[in-house]
Amino acid sequence: MATIQAERAVATARASRGGKSGLRYGIAFIGPFVALYVVFVLIPVVQAVVMSVHDWDLLGHTREFIGVDNYVRMLWGVDITWSMGHLFWWRLAVLALAAVVVVSAVRRRRLTVWNAAGAIGLVAIAFALGFHPGETGFWYDPRFWTALQNTLLFTAVSTPLIAGLGLVMALALQGGRRGARWYQMAFFLPYILPVSVVTLIWTYFLSPNQGLLAALLEPLGIAPIPWLSSTDTAMIAIIATTVWWTVGFNLVLFAAGLQDVDASLYEAASLDGAGPWGKFIHVTLPGIRHVLLLVMVMQVIASFQVFGQVNIMTGGGPGSATDVVIRHIYQTGFRDFELGYASAMSLVLFAIMLVVSVIQMKYLGKDESK
Amino acid sequence: MTTAAVTSTPSAASSPAPQVRPPARSALRRASAASWYHVAMIVAAVVWLLPMLWMTSLALSDNAALTRETQFLIPRDITLDNLLGVFSVGLTSRWFLNSAVVSIVTTVLTVLLCAMAGYAFARIDFRGKAVVYASVLAGLMIPKEAMFVPLFTMVADVQMHNTYAALILPRIAAPLGVFLMTQFFSKVPHEVEEAARIDGAGPWRTFFFIMLPLARPAMIALAIFTFVQTWNDYLWPLVSATRSEMFTITTGLASLQGNFAQATELGSLMARGLVGSLPLLIIFLLFQRHLIRGISMTSGGK
Repeated sequence: MATIQAERAVATARASRGGKSGLRYGIAFIGPFVALYVVFVLIPVVQAVVMSVHDWDLLGHTREFIGVDNYVRMLWGVDITWSMGHLFWWRLAVLALAAVVVVSAVRRRRLTVWNAAGAIGLVAIAFALGFHPGETGFWYDPRFWTALQNTLLFTAVSTPLIAGLGLVMALALQGGRRGARWYQMAFFLPYILPVSVVTLIWTYFLSPNQGLLAALLEPLGIAPIPWLSSTDTAMIAIIATTVWWTVGFNLVLFAAGLQDVDASLYEAASLDGAGPWGKFIHVTLPGIRHVLLLVMVMQVIASFQVFGQVNIMTGGGPGSATDVVIRHIYQTGFRDFELGYASAMSLVLFAIMLVVSVIQMKYLGKDESK
Repeated sequence: MTTAAVTSTPSAASSPAPQVRPPARSALRRASAASWYHVAMIVAAVVWLLPMLWMTSLALSDNAALTRETQFLIPRDITLDNLLGVFSVGLTSRWFLNSAVVSIVTTVLTVLLCAMAGYAFARIDFRGKAVVYASVLAGLMIPKEAMFVPLFTMVADVQMHNTYAALILPRIAAPLGVFLMTQFFSKVPHEVEEAARIDGAGPWRTFFFIMLPLARPAMIALAIFTFVQTWNDYLWPLVSATRSEMFTITTGLASLQGNFAQATELGSLMARGLVGSLPLLIIFLLFQRHLIRGISMTSGGK
């Protein structure tokens, strides 16, 4: 009886802080942060929306309302037609993916709203890919499409590479062996370097006549390759640089995740006669599912925003082989002074990133029903 | 740092641990498997660090020797001139100072404000808290790198470009920091606070003298993470600081890479890169556990 009363007293004491004094202290504690957050994070997003419907010149200070013209300029062109055959195989692949989503959902008898929305979204993408300029037509901003394509290519190649290599490295260091901490430090070290130092090292490291790589490949009979000045290899070089730079971060994430996997599950798997591969598939992968999801989402978000390496190492070139969306936005804003159009592109990039991360969370994290 | 990693690895390898006694042969096999493991890992680690070792070697080489040859790992005509010259020639020392001011102030303010907000979100009940917290978490989704255009016009409207304030303030409002601190404070037992309250401490005293000391590990991790991120920031300083005296070391070094004549000053250039990474290398050596813990926290919280 006495304890119940005491508990009640504590509860009311706690609740009393929810009253007037709670609000006062709450505002005092979160106020400074929230003020900066509103000014430097939320208002810029609103500002971006406002700017994107204006012809907003940086120098001339002309701010003319033009509605969706910026978006039309970005996404449309002259004499755009739709045809069945354009990008046929790509569209077929996307449609196949949509079919897989629907079929697997139906087989498991769980056709959720998310599955349906995903399938409809994929069909919509497949449809949209059919648009292209006709014989006398052209996109208003062909550079946007090149940059978007390069960004997607960079993301699609670098994300699995970084996640996969990070996981392999974490597995190699698993189990608290002697020296594992030192190896982890060695692999993690590049991550702390500023992007300009990373590019400094790699621009020269890859250089065909000065670089160490050419000297290392020479005994193997490989002639010096002009990595950064050839359209075929420039993106490969950017991706290799990025992998070297950032894989350590993901190695640490995976290492932390592997520690949390219940060791008794491995023993149970051994008793069931599972080999190393079986353990990896049935114990490790499910055990680190949430880390895998986190790494993939963070990598995709980071990859969509790739800028520094490209801007310093290749300047988007040769030609437009390594041009990416953020660089296009940067140049539109600060070289051509068209801030309205740059904002519109920022928002479209933001929207794409948002959709991709939501999809990843829904599909990769679907079995995480706790 | 590179030297530390390399000199220490052989010592770890030279003593493979045969802790198992029973059958001698299997112990032997295990020992040899362990040494093969270490040989493989050392080779991998050295290969991984090769570009950095090469940079260090070039920074220690004479510039004249570098015009003839650059493809070596042992410094040629070894000299410290490049490293000493970093601070006497050009604006590099100014950039270094800018980076130091911006990174230190950003780190201190970020940690303090995120800790305060995190404490309030975890421990103080007030109306509208859930809505505010949800909107802060939503901020995790907003890509900073993509929102620099409106941020630029905002700062331009108050004519604050090329100031420290412009470089610092937008970086402080980090939703991730608040998220981490809220997670941490919500795990602290309620009894701690109640004891403080019974002793007559108000929320401010409780926060500064009880909760902050408790939160030290989380704060150190957040601080190191913030420092590294701020020191390495590239896009925002690039658009915000247009006068070369206001460059940070990251944007400054990037600007040099376009200007330097091919190989004539390669040693100096590499020395600048080395010096520009030095604070991070030192922090890494001193606090790498905390840094790694900070990264792990971002995954452990979910």
